[in-house]
Amino acid sequence: MTIEVTPRAREWLNKKGGVATVRLSPRRGCCGGRADIAVAEARPPDSPERYVRLEFEDMTLYVDPTLVDQGLTLDAEGFLGLKHLFVEGAPLTR
Amino acid sequence: MTPHQESQSPSTAEGMGRFERFLSLWVALAIVAGVLLGQFAPAIPDALSRFEYAQVSIPVAILIWAMIFPMMAQIDFTAVLGVRRQPRGLIITTTVNWLIKPFTMFAIAWFFLTVVFQPLIPADLASQYLAGAILLGAAPCTAMVFVWSYLTRGDAAYTLVQVSLNDLIMLFAFAPIVVFLLDVSNIQVPWNTVALSVVLYIVIPLAAGYLTRRTLISRHGSEWYDNVFMRRIGPITPAGLILTLVLLFAFQGEVILEAPLHIVLIAVPLIIQTFFIFFIAYGWAKAWKVPHNVAAPGAMIGASNFFELAVAAAISLFGLQSGAALATVVGVLVEVPLMLALVRIANKTRHHFPDASTEPR
Repeated sequence: MTIEVTPRAREWLNKKGGVATVRLSPRRGCCGGRADIAVAEARPPDSPERYVRLEFEDMTLYVDPTLVDQGLTLDAEGFLGLKHLFVEGAPLTR
Repeated sequence: MTPHQESQSPSTAEGMGRFERFLSLWVALAIVAGVLLGQFAPAIPDALSRFEYAQVSIPVAILIWAMIFPMMAQIDFTAVLGVRRQPRGLIITTTVNWLIKPFTMFAIAWFFLTVVFQPLIPADLASQYLAGAILLGAAPCTAMVFVWSYLTRGDAAYTLVQVSLNDLIMLFAFAPIVVFLLDVSNIQVPWNTVALSVVLYIVIPLAAGYLTRRTLISRHGSEWYDNVFMRRIGPITPAGLILTLVLLFAFQGEVILEAPLHIVLIAVPLIIQTFFIFFIAYGWAKAWKVPHNVAAPGAMIGASNFFELAVAAAISLFGLQSGAALATVVGVLVEVPLMLALVRIANKTRHHFPDASTEPR
């Protein structure tokens, strides 16, 4: 598998429509500079053609091509009824 | 070990563009430009200083918002939901940032500025410089830590969590810490002045950034927000910083020309504090066997300062012509070279830390 999805993420994603995007989000330093962080969102991407589409039994993932086969794990976490997806195992890139 | 960990850390040139690598040079040039402006065209800063409302300089407020807003607009507060993921890293970072750093900054700056350098700095100026150092110590880095984390191959998810948690704490802790330490230093600042500066330069930009983020993401999507909107507004921060410094030094010209050595003297405690705080957090992380990809960004966030906020608060509390404002600018001057030195230390000592893939959290 090119990206591991935990049962917790799978369960939460199913409730949210079964589609997620794993992409790079740029963060800018206050005096310039930039680092890209892998983030995950429970929604399809704006431009699906730019992503690798991975079909699972119960869900579809759109993954940034540079993040495929990086040994990443998609997980869900939260408390007090609030939850979000996150990507584990990704260093910051550029 | 994953392929990432086996590979080399990115070079400085990869992580930082020309502007940020040579920030000290641009700051030095802004100082020169500001001093020249103040000496040869004093009518310009004088005219700008007249635009005031409720004792707040409008041009300065606009420049400060320009510096701070883009940083606030990129904070993803949902990352706080990951607060339980790396508890040891977050305990170290939060304790060092908020229970140790402001107080060591105060102690080190007080010792050097009022004791060691007593023959070189008049007492009233020394307490102004101390106030600037206190403001720097109470404002840990909020945006550059992503770049420092990248340069040390830090854990991206952890870096996000620690930045959002730090920003939330800053909202409540900055003002009380500053007031307490200024009071200990016998520098009287009315609570309402500090509260106004917190509202103007933390609460308003943070709320504006949050609302902008939510509104634009719901209308245009998060990819558009990250890749189009943030790319457009990103350069406003460094531009605002340089223009603020030019304006500030248009008022500080006399001080710089009369006592240029003061810049070096102010830098001494700031440099010592930066290394000291880094090694406290980094050493603690090593003792607790925290993986290097958490230890490095965890130590970097406290070592680095949110100097835009410190500059803004110094101007707001003490004025453009104050020694406090000058001291915060020295923080900007030394920031990048110091942090790059710490990046090198972190990368060279990586092998002393456990591998992220083998250690429990």
